[in-house]
Amino acid sequence: MTIVVAYADTPPGHAAVTAAVAESREEETVVLVAAVRDEQVPEIDEIAARWPDLAGRVVIEHGDLGDPSDTVIQVAQRLDSRLIVVGLRARTPVGKLVFGSTAQRILLDATCPVLAVKPSAVDRAVPS
Amino acid sequence: MTDAAFSALASLADPSLLMMLAVGVVAGLVIGLIPGLGGTGAVAILLPVTFGMEPEPALAMLIGALAVVHTSDTVAAVLLGAPGSASASVTMLDGYSMARQGQAKRALSLAFLSSMAGGLIGAVGLTLAIPLARPLVLSFGSPELFMLTILGVSLAAVLSRGNVVKGLTAGLLGILLGLVGTSPTTAEERFSFGSLFLSDGISLVAVALGVFGLAEIASRVGQRRVTEKPVELIGGWGAGIREWLTHWTHVIRGALIGIWAGVLPGVGATAGTWLAYGQAVATAKDKRKFGKGDPRGIVGPESANNSVEAGDLIPTFLFGIPGGVPSAMLLGMLLTYGIQPGPAIVTEHLDLMYLIVWAFAIASVAGAFLCFLATGSLAKLTKVPFAVLGPGLLVIMLLGAFQEGGQIGDLWVMVALGVVGFFLKATGMPRAPFLIGFVLAIPMERYYYLTASLYDGASWVARPGVLIFAALLVVPVLWAVVKRLRKATGAVDDGHRDEHENDDKDGDELEGSLARTPWSLGVAVIAVLVFAGAFWVSGSFSAEARLMPRLVALGGLAVAAVLTWQELRVRPRGSRRDHSGVVDEPTGSSGATMLATRVEPRIDARSLARRQDLMIAVRTFAAMAAFLVLVMAGGYVAATLVFTPLFLLYAARVRPRTAIIYTLVLSAVLVALPSLLPVDLPLGLLQ
Repeated sequence: MTIVVAYADTPPGHAAVTAAVAESREEETVVLVAAVRDEQVPEIDEIAARWPDLAGRVVIEHGDLGDPSDTVIQVAQRLDSRLIVVGLRARTPVGKLVFGSTAQRILLDATCPVLAVKPSAVDRAVPS
Repeated sequence: MTDAAFSALASLADPSLLMMLAVGVVAGLVIGLIPGLGGTGAVAILLPVTFGMEPEPALAMLIGALAVVHTSDTVAAVLLGAPGSASASVTMLDGYSMARQGQAKRALSLAFLSSMAGGLIGAVGLTLAIPLARPLVLSFGSPELFMLTILGVSLAAVLSRGNVVKGLTAGLLGILLGLVGTSPTTAEERFSFGSLFLSDGISLVAVALGVFGLAEIASRVGQRRVTEKPVELIGGWGAGIREWLTHWTHVIRGALIGIWAGVLPGVGATAGTWLAYGQAVATAKDKRKFGKGDPRGIVGPESANNSVEAGDLIPTFLFGIPGGVPSAMLLGMLLTYGIQPGPAIVTEHLDLMYLIVWAFAIASVAGAFLCFLATGSLAKLTKVPFAVLGPGLLVIMLLGAFQEGGQIGDLWVMVALGVVGFFLKATGMPRAPFLIGFVLAIPMERYYYLTASLYDGASWVARPGVLIFAALLVVPVLWAVVKRLRKATGAVDDGHRDEHENDDKDGDELEGSLARTPWSLGVAVIAVLVFAGAFWVSGSFSAEARLMPRLVALGGLAVAAVLTWQELRVRPRGSRRDHSGVVDEPTGSSGATMLATRVEPRIDARSLARRQDLMIAVRTFAAMAAFLVLVMAGGYVAATLVFTPLFLLYAARVRPRTAIIYTLVLSAVLVALPSLLPVDLPLGLLQ
């Protein structure tokens, strides 16, 4: 089984990876998919350096679609993953109305369980 | 109203009209098969042929071609993996994968049927738009029409792909070009610099063919040849046809999205098909197969790209605001016949409107049918390298531009605009607002003066119609601000659903390849200088004739200055980070810096390819200029006899035998053309 993480280079995105590490069983593959348009997941080495637990079992997938939320779901469906992890960030209702949300679309469209995490207070105080 | 519809159908039974429609359909299909032409190319090539015809057969031919271009452009995308036009690159995602799995016929039959249905639904949409819009259009006075012209240009500028400032600059440049010639209110000459032929204004055909046609030739002559072997045309047609019926909801949804994209100015077939693909993915429960041969990824977009062309025609004919580039050219054609689109067309030429609708519908069906019959043999055409087509297209396009005014000067203007078009394209400036601005410049000015003389002071501003349009004008501005905010926060879960190319394999290497280089800075600076020059020159006009150029020049100065500032702001950072001065990757995140090291070799290859593209373009434009000199010296046929073989041998590097046969056939066509069609060949000094 695999776990798919909607990766972004921000505190919520990092929190999602951390949560995926905690959730994953031993030897289970964690798949990172870029969740921000026109951005890519860093090299595997850098990821492994930041989350040592992931070394050797992290994979980066791209999918065939333009929209990030569709890509995340497509990868999860193709790999038949058991879980998708997304990071959420604070949003006012108005902000939500104006900007839309990739995370929301993943929550609504996913065909497997989704774990939504928020960055902890510590993460927010020290942006990495 | 139904009477008008059926009498239009009856008039199509006239053999000469049907003949023209058939010619248009065949021409459209062939043009669609050739990679790189598309709807713009189809109208551009056929437009010259229609000069001298009656409006009905001319429209039948052009609409026939426009309706089917997007039916056959799928063939190259599915069989070669090289899209026939930018909008077919969407079909390529799933169509090419399907073809590689040995199901080429399944993919093509899905695509053809969807194209047909898209065209038919588009025609229905066009029909329904007439009675709906008629009372609205008839209630419009000059203030509303004035607002509409402004709305047309600004929507085109804002909605075109890429940056809003670039779109506005292009639109204002287009308006400025449209103001060249005699002022409609005071009959004084503007920006003609004492030249007699500029005082007539610049011909629309020369602008359209230059900015789009010649620029396209110059940028594609050097196109890397398709070396891949085409996928074999196997599988059964039947399976695809049966499967298509099960996806009928996608067909309808795709077509409706296409019509909507067509109605909006500046949103063309390319954006429309991506929207359709996006919604097909978004509404699908099982997304696994998208990009690997999912039929839903073919059906929706194919249906959309045909209905876009019908949607484009709605604002063009009803309001006189072209929805896209091909329809801007159609609008120009109607104007040369003295048919004023907008309120006049619904009252006086309703039969013409219905003729267009029927022609569109019939062409869609006939086009799909012909595609089923002939794809096997016609697929070879997709392998013809563009360099070989170049000289033939060039000769035909220049001949076309000559027909409107019969002046060699138009041809020089056209080549000069070809250079402009090339740089606009290469630096990522959208060209649609440029052309739409050009077409709408004079109507805008005329409606403004009508308004100003009919109403005291600013009372027209309070008319409800004007207020509504003013509100609509604000929306895109707000949208641009919101987009800017979104970029600034650069956030994770931002992003409304919009689907676009997630890689740069869209078959057009040149588009925007010079963006963020000294070249695009140069284009911005030149735009500033042009607007400043226009402002200075317009000082000598009378008060009435001065107003419009002054406003355009001031607005242009402002946006061009912003554009220059943007370019300058990006530049220094770019050269520090990377010695070749190119930053194509997003900046500011650790991911991007990681990426930059990895991507280095590709950047070098890109800048090399760019230099090569530039060299080829320079040579092609030099060849075009040489051709014109030859034409002035020895006449059109003689010039063709000299130019074509030289170009084929040295630029396209074909075998001598091919070059000789090609030249002879082309010249024979040129000699025969004046006796078949009302066409004049330019005469040289020696003749």
